[in-house]
Parts: sequence; C-alpha cells; structure tokens
Amino acid sequence: MSFRTHDKQRFIIDSANDFTNKRISKRDFLRKMGMAGVGMSAFAAGSLGGFRSFGNMAMADAHGETPEDVANFLREAGKPFAGTTIRYTSESTPPTVVLNQLKSEFTELTGINVEIEIVPLEQVLAKATQDVQGQLGTYDLYYLDQAWTATFSRDTIDPREYYADKPDLAMPGFDFDDFSEPLVEGISLYQDKWIGLPFDIPIFTLMYRKDILEKHGIAVPKTYEDFTQAVELITAAEQENGIYGTGLQAKSGHYSLECDWSQAVWGHGGSIFDADKMFSGNDAAGVEGLEWYMNLLANAPANSVAATWDGQWQMGASGQIALCQSWAEFFPGWNADDSAVKGLWEMTTPLQGPSNLRGRDAVGFGEIPNWGHQGGSSIALSRYSSNIDAAWLFMQWACSKDIMTRCTLAGGFAPMRTSSYNDPRILERQNLEGSGTTRHLGTVLETINNYMASEPDMAIWAGLANNEIPTELGKLLTGQDYDGNAKACMDQIAKLVDQQVAEAELR
Amino acid sequence: MSTVTPSADERSDNRLRMPRWLTSEHPLPWLFPCISLLLVFGLYPILYSLWLTMYKRNPATRVETFDPAWNWSRLWADERVWDALQVTLTYTFVAIILQLTLGMLIALLLDTDRKGFSILRALMTLPLVVPPAVTGMMFLLMYDGSFGVISHALYDLGIISKDAPLLATGSTALLAVIIVDVWQWTPFMVLIMLAGLRALPKDPFEAAAIDGATDVQAFFKLTLPMMSKIIALAVLIRGIDLFRVFDYVKVMTDSGPGTATETLTAYTGTIYFKSANFPFASTVAIFTLLVVLIVANVFIKVFKVRF
Repeated sequence: MSFRTHDKQRFIIDSANDFTNKRISKRDFLRKMGMAGVGMSAFAAGSLGGFRSFGNMAMADAHGETPEDVANFLREAGKPFAGTTIRYTSESTPPTVVLNQLKSEFTELTGINVEIEIVPLEQVLAKATQDVQGQLGTYDLYYLDQAWTATFSRDTIDPREYYADKPDLAMPGFDFDDFSEPLVEGISLYQDKWIGLPFDIPIFTLMYRKDILEKHGIAVPKTYEDFTQAVELITAAEQENGIYGTGLQAKSGHYSLECDWSQAVWGHGGSIFDADKMFSGNDAAGVEGLEWYMNLLANAPANSVAATWDGQWQMGASGQIALCQSWAEFFPGWNADDSAVKGLWEMTTPLQGPSNLRGRDAVGFGEIPNWGHQGGSSIALSRYSSNIDAAWLFMQWACSKDIMTRCTLAGGFAPMRTSSYNDPRILERQNLEGSGTTRHLGTVLETINNYMASEPDMAIWAGLANNEIPTELGKLLTGQDYDGNAKACMDQIAKLVDQQVAEAELR
Repeated sequence: MSTVTPSADERSDNRLRMPRWLTSEHPLPWLFPCISLLLVFGLYPILYSLWLTMYKRNPATRVETFDPAWNWSRLWADERVWDALQVTLTYTFVAIILQLTLGMLIALLLDTDRKGFSILRALMTLPLVVPPAVTGMMFLLMYDGSFGVISHALYDLGIISKDAPLLATGSTALLAVIIVDVWQWTPFMVLIMLAGLRALPKDPFEAAAIDGATDVQAFFKLTLPMMSKIIALAVLIRGIDLFRVFDYVKVMTDSGPGTATETLTAYTGTIYFKSANFPFASTVAIFTLLVVLIVANVFIKVFKVRF
C-alpha cells in the first residue's frame, strides 16, 4: 500500500492526536509513523521512549513457563543474591526488547532485580567505553556489537571458564555446543576467548517485493548485476509513484553506512584488509564495490543519506522500496499483521558477487569475506561488576534454549542456538504469513552456515567502523568532498586507517 | 568556686595569636567556599584535561606514555579539526549576526508601554525555557522530508526540492541548524536589548527630535552608540556560548551530512566516545578553549568591553 499525500498527512495527524490523547501507545505511534514512511532517526525513536522499529512483535508469544529443571536451579542458586540489582545497557534490538518484557520471570524465580537501559547503539558504545575506562562496574552486563569484540575482550569474563569454575552457578543443560559455531566464531570469539555469549544475529539477506517484481516481469536477482538492473528499472518505472528500487542506511558517520559499504566491498571480491594488515578497500575490487553503492544511492529515497537501519526499515514498511539487501530481522516486521505491505515481501540468500571471494588467508585481522554481512552481538559479563554471580545467572537464563526460542517467537529475530531452529514452536510458524512468522528462518540459517561475512577482529575496529570510515564515506556520498571520486575517498580512508593501525602497533 | 574573667588586654592577646588570614575581618574565610568550588569544578577539570593532553595513548593496548608534543602534532595534521573550526566559526558568526539583528529589531518593537505589550514581552521568552535537546527534536520533526511542516512549506514555495531533505543536504544542513539556534536564543538578545533601551536617557532623543532627526537617524546616531557596551557584552556572552554548540548538532544531524555540521565540540565527543582516545579528545577540547580565549580577548580589546 502506498499513501496518497493527503491521506498520508491525515493519517499522521490522526495518529499524532491519538498518541497525544493517550489512545495509542508509543510503540503503536512509532509503528504507524513507520507505515506512513516517516523517517525518524534512532535518536528520535529513542527520545519517544521507543525502540528500533522492527514492527509488531508478538509479545504474547514470549510469555511462557521456564522449564522446571531450570526454574528449580534458579530458585536455589539465586537465593544468596535476592534483592541484588543488576544493570545492563543495550541497543533496542528485538531480543533485548523481548528480554525486557520477560525479565520479571527471572526476578520472580531468583529475587534478583534487572534494570535494562535501552538506548541507540552509539550510546551503548559510549557507556561501555566509559565504564571500562574507569573500571566502574556501573553495568554488570555489556551488549557488545561484533565490531567491538576485540576492543572489549580484556574487560569481560569468558563464560565457558566461569561455567566450569562455578559449578554451583552452572545452569543444567546449558549446552555451549548448541550455539551456532559460525556465530560464535564471527561474533563472540577473540583469540580463543569467548568474550560473551552470542545474543543477536542480524545478517544481510536479499529481500524483495514479489508484487513489484511480478508487475515488471523481473526475476529474483541472484547477482549484483541482476540486482542493479532490477533496481534501476523499478526506480525509472515507479519513482513517480513514490517507489524506489532500493533504500540504503547511508547516514554519514554511522556504523550502518560502514555495514553497507563492507557488504559492497566483499560482494565485489574485495576486503577491508589484506594479508599484510594494510587497508585494501582502495584496491580495484574495493573501489568497484563503492562505485556500485554510489549508483544505488541514485536509485534510493533521498533520505537514505540520513537513514540508519531504522530509516531503512521504515522505507520497507511504508512500501517505499522494492528490493533491499539488508538485515534479515527487518522481515518479520514488514510481514506483520499491521504492516502496510504484509505478505508482499519475500526473502532469499544474499547476492552473489561478480568476482570470486577473497580467501581468508588473503585478508587480515581475522576478517571473513563472504556474501552476507553479519552484525551480531554478544551479551558479556563485565570484569568490573560487583554482582558478577547474579549477572551470570541472568546471562545464562537470557541465553538459555527456552528463552532464546521464545525471544525468536516474539521478536522474529534469528536464534543463536541450533536447537531453536528445530523447536516445534518455531516449525509451527514456518508457513505463517503475518505476525510471528518464522518463514524466513530457513534462509537465515542457510546464510549463517554458508555465506556469513564478518568484520575484522582488532582492538581499534570500534573506532574505525564508527568514525573514520563512515565519516569519509559520508563526505563522498553527500558531495562534501572527493568530487564523486570513489578512489580518492578510499585512498584517504586507507591513509587514516593505516596510520591508526601503525600507531596502535597492530602490524 | 570563682571564675576569672579575662581582661580586655588578655582577650586582645589571644586574638593576636591567630593568623590574620583566619580572622573574621580577613576576606579569605568568606571567599573560601567560593574559591573551593571554582578550584574543584572549574580549574581541576581544565588542569586534568591539560595533563591528559601530555600522554600518547595506544588505543589497542590502552597504554599511555608521556609525550607532550604528540597530541598537538596530531591535532595540527588532522584536517577534521580545521574543518570543524571553520564550521564552528561560521556557525558562531552567522548565528550571532542573525540573533543580534533580530533581537534589536524585536526589542525596538517591544519597547513601549502600550497595553498588551508586557504579555508579548513575556511570550518572547518562551523559547528560552525549552531544553535545547527538546528544541532539536521539535525541529528535527518539522524539518523531516516526509511530513515536516517546514519542509512542506519550502517545497510548496519552490525553495527546496523533495530530493534534497534539508538536514541531509550539505548546503542547507548548517543553516537549518543555525535557524534553530536563532529561534531559541534571539529572545535572550531581546531581553538584553530591551533592558539597554529602557536604561537610555530620554533627553538626547528629545533634543534630536527638536532638531528634526528622523527615527532612523536617532537610532544610528544615538541608540546604537549609547548601546554599544551592552551590545558588545551580549555578543561576547552569546559568542562564547555559540562556540561551544553541541546539543543541536548532536540531536539533529550528528555532525552530518559528511562533516558539514561538525563543530569542534561535536568532534571532541566523537573522538572521546567512538574512538576512546581520551588524550586526543582532551587536546581538541583544550584547543577549543584556547581559541575561545583568544577570540574573546581580541573582542574585549577591540570593543573595549568592561565587566
């Protein structure tokens, strides 16, 4: 569905009035704004007390019974810590939002209170940075994006070791081997240490509007070339109707742009670092990837250069875009019962690049080039916490098989645990259209197991990925610098990155 | 039991034994609380930042080594610092001109005792009580390319294109943020100017009127010269404040698009929070402080501002 201008404005006004008069919740207000194509930034959403707008979550599905053996363990193990309060700060990802709804179950069993601060990703990084710098222990648990794994590795406790060292606090049947091996390697492992437990796995897949592709007789793209042709054709044909070929998360200086860019580089056979640990985004493949991305920008809504993942999600939910290679966790919201485009989005594995992938021995810092960029996160136990044991109990509960499955049912995100994919509750929904669908999880699992790409593991990557790289890319994409010359931009990034790598004595 | 009352001489001797700076007649005991607060909350952070600038930090190992020149040489070579300085100076200069001009015009209009104008003067101060972050949010929504009222009005007037959202376009983003600052802080100028206008003596204006001077001539020949000290003070106060702008930029553009709205304080925050390079962030902060001190001192000398 696409709104006519007048209807859209009327809809927005009515929704705003409903929200002001407390007839609808903040979440419903944000959802309606998403339907109307209102591009709010993460900060805006956060300021309204909301969260990353990934659509209608079937919260009712999250509630259930903690398995009896786990409940008994928590009642017994939690006794000494009753009354303790543990603190955790996280981005507003689907699992965190669901966990925030479920935490009372944990408190009822253990008497341990849990405070979860939900803030935009950049604020999570800022809070964690300050906490470890002063070794403050303000937060007992950290939400760590995969790009920060190496940065914070020394500040966390290896959960496997803690599990072995504290048998009294070891949850029965926790089963570390059940965590997906590629996810552990790509998200939580740094130099043989688990910095935390895998908690969230947004991963790039290809999503497309089947109705628009059928209308124009376009086959589902398999390669970057197919994708470009389809995007250009649809923009040319549908722009007058307010529909673009694709939408991007190209906000300058934001990690979302770095994610888009690295996907484009890998997709064109490039890499971020070479085997000598020199920045290689400025080689032929890297520049080709960036030029491809710049062409996409011409076929995307103008607001793409101000959009992060929230904005991109809203583009898809409002029917503004027809194809999108981005986070799989967008999919359930786009197909939820109250979505303007319910049942119209489909998912398939990520695009195959025109060149061969660069091998892992040809890149540096443990980078994994592949077709599907993963943006996962870990939940990690702070070394500086004064409530480590209580936090460890919560962490085990949050990442237990049952809770991970229930979070998936309610939030539509992909589970970290292999067993969840075969859980009857998940399988039951695999043909469902509408809220709580799991019909995308097969593609997600295939992508994780076969196509998962991962960014470099290095202690200064959090800074590079959130500052230097997306800022210089932003200058190029918004015309502030480089006169549209992708190579010049990449050369400047190479200079900045290589200088920092040398200063950090990482080469 | 008897008590011995000390004589007046003895009391005087006892008092003499106390250090003079501890006696109630000395100003130091009275100034001590104020000085303590200034030292702890004013001077200490600056000294601590200065101390930080002397260390080279390895962001990977977090090891800091004493190297007083390192961060300053890095700052000198960092193009973003100079871009940010340029944005900051532009922001300050444009905003101060607009705020001063509008503030004076509005003050002149409101400088009357006609019925109802006291309410108008009170209403003028409303933007001042809105927190800057909230102001930024309000304007973020009004500038929104999809439904923002300002954007729509500008589209309808043919001033901007739908393909160029105000805050996502390099040529318009900085001005869009400055306008928000002007909206919020022009009332401050109005208040200062009104106070100045009300304090002006009437006689010169009456004499000028008798001599046949027009209102415009009276404004430029009498009002402005007599208000010059107040104007200079207001410009100084707002100028320093504008130089430190952070909130609107953070909320509305997060320094973008590109670095088109990145001010020195915003860049300091980026280095601190995203790159965790605290010594270098401190160096940029001290650099900002130095620039403010230099510009403010030149201004004070040129315009002979007195406090």
